[in-house]
Amino acid sequence: MNGVVQQIRRDLLIAWASRLDIGVILLFFVIIVTMFPLAIGPQPEILQPLAVPLLWIAAFLSILAGFDRLFAADLRDGWLDQVALSQLPLFAYVIAKAISHWLVSGLPILLAAPLIGLLLQIDPWVMPSLLIALAIGTAALTLLGVIGASLATGARHGGGLMALLVLPLAVPVLIFGVLASVPETGQLLTPHLKLLGAIMAVLLAIAPPVAAAALGEADDDGGS
Amino acid sequence: MFDYFANPTRFVRIADALFWPLVIVASGLLMAGLYYGLIASPADYQQGETVRIMYVHVPAAWLATLGYVLMGICALFYIVWRHPLADVALRAMAPVGAVFAMLTLVTGSLWGKPMWGAWWVWDARLTSMLILFFFYVAVIALANGFDRVERGSRPAALLALVGVLNVPIVKFSVDWWNTLHQPASLIRSGGVSVDPAMLTPLLLMLGGFHLYFAAVVILRMKTLLIERRITSLQLRQNRTPAPARETGQ
Repeated sequence: MNGVVQQIRRDLLIAWASRLDIGVILLFFVIIVTMFPLAIGPQPEILQPLAVPLLWIAAFLSILAGFDRLFAADLRDGWLDQVALSQLPLFAYVIAKAISHWLVSGLPILLAAPLIGLLLQIDPWVMPSLLIALAIGTAALTLLGVIGASLATGARHGGGLMALLVLPLAVPVLIFGVLASVPETGQLLTPHLKLLGAIMAVLLAIAPPVAAAALGEADDDGGS
Repeated sequence: MFDYFANPTRFVRIADALFWPLVIVASGLLMAGLYYGLIASPADYQQGETVRIMYVHVPAAWLATLGYVLMGICALFYIVWRHPLADVALRAMAPVGAVFAMLTLVTGSLWGKPMWGAWWVWDARLTSMLILFFFYVAVIALANGFDRVERGSRPAALLALVGVLNVPIVKFSVDWWNTLHQPASLIRSGGVSVDPAMLTPLLLMLGGFHLYFAAVVILRMKTLLIERRITSLQLRQNRTPAPARETGQ
């Protein structure tokens, strides 16, 4: 447990040292959202029904954009070797990575979401359910991204390959996430939200061992 | 039985013995199926002649799904027991399954235009088959995404396994989301709902597709094994190996 906390602290320190990167991801998120009204047209009657899905797609893309170098840097500078030699199991390292990555990419997006919602004229009453669904959805996507990033570590076209791996896996998260964001009955705990939570729980169970297995292979390969 | 097949030479021998019988029986079944399907069976009272697309569409969809499950089983065997042939089988199956998924999408599209009035609709069945195709492509890309070909084996197997877990979830989620495609009519409670005149060619084609799949996978496995042997012989002779590339991908 202590090792996990130490790893998270290390990642957050590194993230804080290059805090401009967090701003870049956030800006990326805002710019994607801005692109849609420019492409579709500014009419509120067209934009309003699309606002929630747009927000989700923008959040997905900006989280994915941050995954490129999740494990590559640790592999290159030998940190992963040290982790493999230490008492910290690889899957605990992966969990720590997922948590710290969510804190630096998912959380800022979550905090920016109400503001973006304002820009897209999302009904304020939808906001609580949207934020809850988005919090679970970004966490699930972070776990998927961890799987994708670990599998693609050392591959020739890491970034593009990662998107190819993660996006098909993310389909259920996107579908249930958008459905849970706009509850029809007005209550918060919809079946869609429960299913989204269930998907997150499944991912929480499978992502660490899968990523650990893939990273073990990448480490054996000598960090190509 | 498990260790028995771990010897590639023995596998190649068995594969050689199986290959031609499989090809002959498969082509016999496919020719009979095509004869019954295109000539000797009636047109549908509602859909007319276009119903004949079914004789390609349904077996292709079946094999695309089955191929993915088989790939997942191979992935499990490779990850848990490091069975050398499982990796070869996975690599051999992925492109074949992808082609069947593509064939399903194309024939479905050709069928959808006259029946539904659109080449493509965002329906649960179509979307989940499209995503299955994406999964295949992702596995192929990952298996061949590394400079040293064998390095991709374990990531690809892991992805295939995660994909197997994910496929039912995808199917379930898109089913909730939107649907237009007709439900299964071959296997369902209350028995088969297809007329015998159409069932005969459909079953013939299904059998033919299965054997064709087996024959192509065996051929590809043999090719991959030989390719590996050539590479390792070249390495042994201390020559630079041919560019790391797998056949037909």
